[in-house]
Amino acid sequence: MTNQNISLVKVRNTLLLTMPADPDDVTVTTLQEEVLGAMEKYRPKGLVLDISGVETLDSFFARTITETSRMVTMMGGQTVIAGMRPSVAITATQLGLTMGGTFTALTVDRALDLLAHPHPRRRIR
Amino acid sequence: MSDLARGNIPIKSENDIVAARRVVRDLATQLCFGVTDVTRVITAASELARNVFLYVGAGVMWWSILDQCGEVGLELTFEDHGAGIPDVEQAMTPGYSTSRGLGLGLPGVKRLMDEMEIHTEVGKGTTVMVRKWLRK
Amino acid sequence: MAIRSKLSGTAALEDVEGVGSQAFLASIVECSDDAIYGKTLDGTILSWNRGAERIYGYSAGEMVGKPVSVLVPANKPDEVPAILERVKRGERVSHFETTRVRKDGEVIDLSLNVSPIRDASGQIIGASTTARDVTEQKKMREALTERAKEILDVSTPVLQVWEGVVVAPFIGTLDTQRAQQFMERLLDKIVQTNSAVALLDVTGVPAIDTRTAQHLIETITSVRLLGAQAILTGVRPAIAQTLAHLGINLADVVTRSSLAAGLRVALDILNLKIITQEDQAKGAQSL
Repeated sequence: MTNQNISLVKVRNTLLLTMPADPDDVTVTTLQEEVLGAMEKYRPKGLVLDISGVETLDSFFARTITETSRMVTMMGGQTVIAGMRPSVAITATQLGLTMGGTFTALTVDRALDLLAHPHPRRRIR
Repeated sequence: MSDLARGNIPIKSENDIVAARRVVRDLATQLCFGVTDVTRVITAASELARNVFLYVGAGVMWWSILDQCGEVGLELTFEDHGAGIPDVEQAMTPGYSTSRGLGLGLPGVKRLMDEMEIHTEVGKGTTVMVRKWLRK
Repeated sequence: MAIRSKLSGTAALEDVEGVGSQAFLASIVECSDDAIYGKTLDGTILSWNRGAERIYGYSAGEMVGKPVSVLVPANKPDEVPAILERVKRGERVSHFETTRVRKDGEVIDLSLNVSPIRDASGQIIGASTTARDVTEQKKMREALTERAKEILDVSTPVLQVWEGVVVAPFIGTLDTQRAQQFMERLLDKIVQTNSAVALLDVTGVPAIDTRTAQHLIETITSVRLLGAQAILTGVRPAIAQTLAHLGINLADVVTRSSLAAGLRVALDILNLKIITQEDQAKGAQSL
């Protein structure tokens, strides 16, 4: 059995959630519940979803991430997806998964930087 | 074209979707598919297995390793005895994507694989076959 | 030199002038670097030369009388019967590349030539196999293919031009295979260099087909999912037209008319600014 554990820690005013390599449906659903619980408890300014260990991202996982991200926004926070692997990024793109336009960052470090600056220089036209 | 090995796993529960991913990962890795192709094949299998479980509740995933004139490939067939797909053409139109939570995500799966064949009959069931060949 | 052969087919050799010649021919077989062995039509080994001992690792004493299938890998059970079938029909099997297993378990690449052995009356009584070790040749061929791939990679380079900025200049169209390889290389480079921006420059591309356009859009989307900003630079009217026809809203894609303009945006994202020496001098004066 592979490790199905989600790790959720509070770093400064941010939640850092680390996903296991191949989470089953129950684990993916748990992700949402844990996040909502922690959002309520700590009211952090943001959530970093570390998927650097994730090998497969299917539509169910992607939908759950998108929903979670929307919920976090509604509760006054900002979500950043960090560490998506190249193979996962390419596959997700070809499958048509968009993550609902949620912010993404190359690493957890960058994600924390992004959340630390409330008006990131990301909107370019 | 001959097949070098074959097997199947039942799809009856959410755990079977994970089981399907694991089997496909083992097969694709053994066949020395590149990292991205392994990911593509596993993800396609996850989508199709999920369709079977979500829409019908029970079905089978057949797998076989193919050998065609020295080219090696992986074939997966998802079979169910459900209601069938009433309008396959519509299901295959991009726009009926899984990211909206609607539809079967078939156009996306087709993009990930090299070949795809769908046989369906309303009231009888559906078979979706996908293939990926090893790139030199 | 003793002829370790029970092959009755040596009867054919007696037709050549004298025993002296027969011994000479036998020594050619013995001293060959190639594996040369004779077998019956059901695959039982009758003779085994020095080359065979060296290539397969089994001595003649170990192999004579044994079935040749001992050497065949488990995943090819039908190969020897198929070859013998052809030999029985009088056919020769030439330059057949396959694998065999040595005594120590190592799998080797060989090129086989199998011919029928006939007795004095012309009847086929066995098969003679010459096997050449082509492991080295195969390695060289694979190295050449690798080299060819590397040349292809050079034509779609991904270059780091500054800390945090990579540039991928497009030259010509990409077929599906090269496009996939390019996407992987670009994304791997972005991760490797921890880059924030990837400039995809199509200045050198006058027009693109539908498939290349799709690859381009997929590349931009993948880069975004990864966590970097993709900027398309040097878009000519023809390309803008193709993209528009495909229903792609260029408003979703950050574009600039030139690579230089794209670079300026990249530096801005990285919070960097280009200051000329003139500016510096002026700044020093005003202090």
